Amino acid sequence: MIEIHGLVHVYPDGTRAIDGVDLRVEDGERIAIIGQNGSGKSTLVRHLNGLLRPTSGDVLIDGESAADQRVAALAAKVGLVFQDPDRQIFAGRVQVEVGFGPRNLGLRGAALDASVAQALAAVGLASEANRNPYDLGFSKRKLLALASILAMGTPTVVLDEPTTGQDLRGVERIQGVVADLHAAGRTVIAVSHDMRFVAETFARVVVMEAGRVTLDGTPAEVFAAANWEALARTYVEPPLASRIGDRLGLGSTPTDGALVGALVAKGA
Amino acid sequence: MIALCTAALAFVLRGWLAPLVALAVVGATVAGARLGRSFVPFVLATIPLLISIVLINSFLYPGAHDTVFTIGPFRATGTGLTVAGQASLRILAFALSVAVFALTTPTDDLLADLEQRGLGRRASFVVGAAIQTIPRLAARAGEIADSQRARGLDTQGSLWRRVRGIVPLAAPMISGALSEVEERTMALEARAFSAPNRRATIRPMPDTKLERALRWLLGLATVVLIAATVTGRLALP
Repeated sequence: MIEIHGLVHVYPDGTRAIDGVDLRVEDGERIAIIGQNGSGKSTLVRHLNGLLRPTSGDVLIDGESAADQRVAALAAKVGLVFQDPDRQIFAGRVQVEVGFGPRNLGLRGAALDASVAQALAAVGLASEANRNPYDLGFSKRKLLALASILAMGTPTVVLDEPTTGQDLRGVERIQGVVADLHAAGRTVIAVSHDMRFVAETFARVVVMEAGRVTLDGTPAEVFAAANWEALARTYVEPPLASRIGDRLGLGSTPTDGALVGALVAKGA
Repeated sequence: MIALCTAALAFVLRGWLAPLVALAVVGATVAGARLGRSFVPFVLATIPLLISIVLINSFLYPGAHDTVFTIGPFRATGTGLTVAGQASLRILAFALSVAVFALTTPTDDLLADLEQRGLGRRASFVVGAAIQTIPRLAARAGEIADSQRARGLDTQGSLWRRVRGIVPLAAPMISGALSEVEERTMALEARAFSAPNRRATIRPMPDTKLERALRWLLGLATVVLIAATVTGRLALP
């Protein structure tokens, strides 16, 4: 479980990126954090594995304060997939790249090979295990970065903008990974600007504006017409399905499935 | 320009006067440009260097015997102290001149001006790219370090651990820098970088008569003083 109490983060240049956030994430939840650029989403998730330390307030991972733990130790609990895969890829082979994280956590031999193979299979790169990462296209390199965190087997996985540069197949692949993680009881937290992906993939949506949490609920709650004004303040546009559902007087239908369901129910 | 002159002056001329004059010019520039607070870190940064200069010269100046005071086995000599004082002032004047230059001259202005004065666009691009790359590389290095630490790379552990961490930190840095070259080239070509025509200046550089006069005066003074020193008309200590 992750608990955030009164978190404030001020950067050295004086920017108040997080301005009093309280958040509680139960084990196995799927949460998306949305909000305009600069609203504090990435700053917030960097506190979960200790890359950033609170200016004030506290972040508890399974009851222990993250502030007292080293990043290398927290890496075993919270895996963070960065937005740009090219900031992390260094190895000459895909397999070695994916094995870096679990090796750092102490995995060796058969256990290491198994975790690497499993992670590569999860993102659909099993057949690329012996290729050079830089021979892969950007979208595959991004999936490789995702695999390199999955292989670490952390109870919590944080994804920073996982769908940028992905085509439909890539997005579906990532949705599949989130579903698998959820099925395995692991917590998934994602930062995203892709509202359709957010509504379709996550059970809880947290909206941030100017370093604070302004909305927190299920996609149906958060994307309901009553909240559109609050969403617009942080430059978020609700998914198309929401807007169509509202125009047709069907209530809050943030996903394609919900929209179709409501249409069918109305027609029947 | 002013900074260049004061830096040269401080170094070429010996004795007390030159660095003091140079420092005065730097001080006047700092006050004139209202740099104030942003200048403080630069002054502080020179302190460790100054301390070492003073200590080494005062106590270990070769061949000096005019002892002023002693601390344990170390004797501070008058000659050493003088040299230390002058060297410190010189370093201070030099370093602060460079700081004034860095703080007062936006890279864009410098490049636009250099190009106006006839420096080729390729040359000015090389200068600009070099200056602008440093903060970008620093930011990139920070992100790479964060990425790898998130994957359990221990940058705080023993020496051996840190040595092993070099490849994961350096490789993305190098490959990133290389791939950026290609992107930059294409971006530049897309904006007609190698077009043969002379380019128009969007932002004309403000340059008052006073500034121009001051620049020439300082430049002239520098040349004259250097010439005087080299030909031996101005005594070296």
